[in-house]
Amino acid sequence: MSILDDRLSSAHALSQRQATKPRSGSPIRRAIQDFLLSDYFVLYLTLFFFITAAIFFPSLRNPGNIANQLQNMWPLLAVAIGQTFVLILGGIDLSVGATMGITSVVGAIVMAQTLDPSFFDRSPLWGTLMRPEGGVLAGSEWAVPVGVVVMLVTGTLIGFLNGYAITRFNLAPFMVTLVTSTFFAAFALWLTQSRNISGLPEAFLNLGKGDILSIYLGPKLTSDIARRDILSFITYPFVISVGLAFISQFLLSRTVFGRQMFSIGTNRRASEISGVPGKSVITRVYMFSGFCAAVASIMYSGRIGFGQPSLGGGNLLLDVIGAAVIGGTSLFGGKGSVRGTFFGVAFFVLLSNILNAMQLSPFVIDAVKGVIILLAALIDITRTRLINREQRV
Amino acid sequence: MQKQPFNVFRFFLNNSTIFLFIAVFIIFGLSSPRTAIGDTGIDFPRFWLPENILNIIKQAAVFAGIIGVGMTFVLLTAGIDLSVGSNMYLSVVCAGLLMRSSGLEIVPALFVSLLVGTLYGAFNAFCIVRLKIIPFMTTLATLVVGRGLGTALTSSQQIDFPERMNAFGQTMVFGVIPMPIVVFVLVVLAAWFILTQTQFGRQVYAVGNDIDVAKKAGINTDRNLAMVYIISGFCAGLAGFVLASQLGGRVDRSFGETREFDAIAAAVLGGTSLFGGVGNVFGTVIGAMLIQMVGIGLQFNLVNLYLQPMARAFIIFLAIFFDSLREANYKKLKRRFIRPVHSASSEARAADAGD
Amino acid sequence: MTSLLELHNLTKAFFGIAAVKDVSLSINAGETLGLIGQNGAGKSTLVNIVGGVVHSDSGHMTLSEQPYTPRIPADAQHAGVAFIHQELNLFTNLTIAENIFISNFPRMGVLRTIDRAKIKALTGELLASVGLDIPSDTYVERISPGERQLVEIAKALYQDASLIIFDEPTTSLTARETERLFAIMGQLRAQGKAIVYISHILGDVQKLSDQIAVMRDGELVACEPASALTIKRMISLMVGRSIEQLYPKRTTSPTTDPLLTAKNISASGIVEDISFTLHKGEVLGLFGLMGSGRTELARMIFGADQFESGEIVVEGELVRKPSPRSSIHNKIAFVTENRREEGLLMSIDIANNISLVSLPEFARSMLQVIDQRQMFDSARETANTLQLKSGDIRQQPVKSLSGGNQQKVVIAKWLLSRPSIFIMDEPTRGIDVGAKYEIYTIIDRLAAEGSGVLIISSELEELIGMCDRILVMSRGEIYGEFTREQFQDERILRAAFREQDLPMMSVHDGQAKRD
Repeated sequence: MSILDDRLSSAHALSQRQATKPRSGSPIRRAIQDFLLSDYFVLYLTLFFFITAAIFFPSLRNPGNIANQLQNMWPLLAVAIGQTFVLILGGIDLSVGATMGITSVVGAIVMAQTLDPSFFDRSPLWGTLMRPEGGVLAGSEWAVPVGVVVMLVTGTLIGFLNGYAITRFNLAPFMVTLVTSTFFAAFALWLTQSRNISGLPEAFLNLGKGDILSIYLGPKLTSDIARRDILSFITYPFVISVGLAFISQFLLSRTVFGRQMFSIGTNRRASEISGVPGKSVITRVYMFSGFCAAVASIMYSGRIGFGQPSLGGGNLLLDVIGAAVIGGTSLFGGKGSVRGTFFGVAFFVLLSNILNAMQLSPFVIDAVKGVIILLAALIDITRTRLINREQRV
Repeated sequence: MQKQPFNVFRFFLNNSTIFLFIAVFIIFGLSSPRTAIGDTGIDFPRFWLPENILNIIKQAAVFAGIIGVGMTFVLLTAGIDLSVGSNMYLSVVCAGLLMRSSGLEIVPALFVSLLVGTLYGAFNAFCIVRLKIIPFMTTLATLVVGRGLGTALTSSQQIDFPERMNAFGQTMVFGVIPMPIVVFVLVVLAAWFILTQTQFGRQVYAVGNDIDVAKKAGINTDRNLAMVYIISGFCAGLAGFVLASQLGGRVDRSFGETREFDAIAAAVLGGTSLFGGVGNVFGTVIGAMLIQMVGIGLQFNLVNLYLQPMARAFIIFLAIFFDSLREANYKKLKRRFIRPVHSASSEARAADAGD
Repeated sequence: MTSLLELHNLTKAFFGIAAVKDVSLSINAGETLGLIGQNGAGKSTLVNIVGGVVHSDSGHMTLSEQPYTPRIPADAQHAGVAFIHQELNLFTNLTIAENIFISNFPRMGVLRTIDRAKIKALTGELLASVGLDIPSDTYVERISPGERQLVEIAKALYQDASLIIFDEPTTSLTARETERLFAIMGQLRAQGKAIVYISHILGDVQKLSDQIAVMRDGELVACEPASALTIKRMISLMVGRSIEQLYPKRTTSPTTDPLLTAKNISASGIVEDISFTLHKGEVLGLFGLMGSGRTELARMIFGADQFESGEIVVEGELVRKPSPRSSIHNKIAFVTENRREEGLLMSIDIANNISLVSLPEFARSMLQVIDQRQMFDSARETANTLQLKSGDIRQQPVKSLSGGNQQKVVIAKWLLSRPSIFIMDEPTRGIDVGAKYEIYTIIDRLAAEGSGVLIISSELEELIGMCDRILVMSRGEIYGEFTREQFQDERILRAAFREQDLPMMSVHDGQAKRD
């Protein structure tokens, strides 16, 4: 009996000790938790990385570099916003890269001012839409506006195809967008026989790199400033992407469409019983993703100066999904924000920049990027766990 | 549990991949160039010649089949492994570099490839099970890491294996069967055995059906999940080595790229669900062969090289399309009938309210 | 008699809120302990601690006089504690035999292959002992919920459990299956197994238990021999006050103005030639046994499922092919039977749940911008009308509410769209006595305001307590209609059974039938 009493009392003492222990640990731990849970966590992390790296690699501090990195962000941001929408819905769009490639090619076919027969004479469009004297509207003043509209419509249409297949036949988004990705990537290569289409009009190139407001840092000494000293600050891509971001954030948080997206991403059956037009919302979101990919394609094509069938190839998809997820968007749907994605994109661009500054080979950079994504995902898991612990009932 | 009356549509649907397979086989056969057999004077489609059929199986094995089997394990747990293509590359690069630098023989080199592949899978498993990073993100990241490491190891150069690698690739077992087919058959049989005859295999199905229930039932879900990624990694190491031997021992930096999609497509074509718990390896074999048959058939019909991926995309679309019809039909069948259906025979009569 | 399981001062808090407070309890071998309490009273947390699903903050347990500290559910299993959950824990893609042996198959040979012959023989014996006559290699997806429950019990028997916890086992069972379950529980008790039985059906608890433990707000408020407790006293212990009246008195009587008329609705194999009319101010009950087609009918009327022929007239307007959207437009609300899957966005805040149906009404301009202030104000107002107990409705996710409050959110969501017709499928399932009373009050008020309410329920007592008229469905047909004066348990049940299963009938059985 006394043994049992002892055991009971020691258990009691133990429970008392546990009870007096503060729930969330020491103030330092508490501070770390607050930091991890902050909305701006990714931004802080990015700045921390960048500033630390900038101490060791002076080239990073160069204003020219910073201006350059800003310009790198804008196209990626556009396509990542579309992906964020799809992820919030609980879907995934693997076709954004291929959409960028095909829209780039289609735009160039409309706008190109000359086409080299030795490159394109085996293209199925040779002689009809593609001629030695250029694309469909070569030389016309309408070339650029029509070209841009055709690109946007093409992207949106591919998004519609995805959305239609997914909603009408209940197919898995992963498989559908994989199929459209394979198909349109091949289609773009077929149309161009794997060649880049150059000779795009100057006005179009401006959409990719044109300045609106530039900055010169330095004393007012010379009458003419060397071009390389003038730093692009506000460019067309800046305006386009930031505009797109604001509109998207507005759609997401302020409109019926946005609320319905979140509700479908959380529970599609309950949403449809409550009158949410599920199929229509889903289709529109995929269309939006295709549209965003086309916007990104316009900026990239303008920047590199040609229509490139392989534009969205390589590791772009990784950057896009990685940026969204690091920015707090859940792959399971129902969670995400444009702001988070913006931070995620900044993270990725600056990360590449740091790795480049370290003069690593591109392959090592890829490897390091992969590891960083794993780490970021790990941090996200930790955050989610902390939040869940806070909310658990 | 009542008997269903025979229904042609349903029968077709339930076996859609096999029908698709037969249809593709017949169409490509009829449209392929013909050749006279010996001196019989009969024109026979070259597509149907035994050597071509063996070639299809061989290519199915090395391109999508072996990794498809590994992928089937992963998909059965509702996971995904996007890193198999990179894994194939890294594994074979390690084996190739050792063969060249220290004159490793084929068998030890194969072991190196298997070891690297398995470790690669184990790393995926570690991230997924221990660090709890979701499979999609983990394997997407290791896809990039693996290829980056491989390219860095080779300084982005093509690796030329010693001649014995090529000879190994041309080995005929019993003098008639190409080596990759034998490897494939062994892998498939082993996978079938593991999935149906062992406790681990049945637990893989259980985990895929409902992981929370599996935990409550006392299944070591962590170990099971880890194992499927390790198996997938092992298969990738094996497939990488065998594929390299088929390519004449030349491995460049695009080796294995996008193979993961073929592997997933093969499994899904074979009836494995992306949502876990449903599927078997024989389906994956059919799926892998269908994919390869389409590729070879298009070559036979001299279709523009650029159109082949488009045709392949179309076939995969058909497969998932039929899969969704099948699912919809299955749901309709599962609907509970609570009163006799007037038109149907007494066989179809549902059990009464108390069932 | 020695006690098998002893709980000493168990306490468990989830973020400051105690779910279980200082509970000490003991269970003897060969004894059945009934565990009752309102939802959120801590029953589930308590048995989850015993089952190794959650860990207590303080306190300790002994099993057969050994310290018992299950870390994971598997530990509890090894120690001989089996847990039969409310939602069944079987793998539908495996066979019955595989389900029973999944964590430890008998194996043979060098390759350690599964010994199929052995598991077949063993499963056969186990199934026979629970009275289930189905081949052991049947896939679980092909057997009924009741049969699945019996498979779970067979599994517990195989694990040679000395303590079996049943958490609401009868919710998915037919009357016959419930009887069989009770018989098996009796056998288990006779074999010296200890049983913990959790249920909302107090009559069952009283009949089956030796001791009854009542929990309220995480505390054990009483543990007395079953013979010493009346149902009335159990209820008053559970709610902390005595409820004389389980149902509020209806304040108004129905009019004769038709609101919704169903004409000859048929869907082959499901419902046949259904016609009825719901009037303004009327509470119409739809009673039927499991599988009678009542839920299916409700879904068709709302448009969640399709019917093949027939038509629906809503306030004089003909609707041929209803869809959820057309029904919402026609001012019909539909409270589904499963909140989690079809009613709520569990991880999203209360306000956004409440406003979901009426979102388009808060939209301004072509861009469909939501008037946030108006939306939150309306949501808050509706929540207040229903006396929803919650924190900030803009912050708190629905999943953190109790079952009764979750149901109020579902009702609030529909109330906000100001419907004139309410279809409620099992509106009080799985919620506690106090919350039930509040839901009934809301229903009465809706009718008093002129709405028509169609309640689908498997608890006959509830329908008799609340409805003006009851329709009885059986095998997809309407098989009887009773007005208030004609309400009588036995007659209604007899209609539901088509007078075939007379020996099984009693009020109590009627309550046990759910699907």
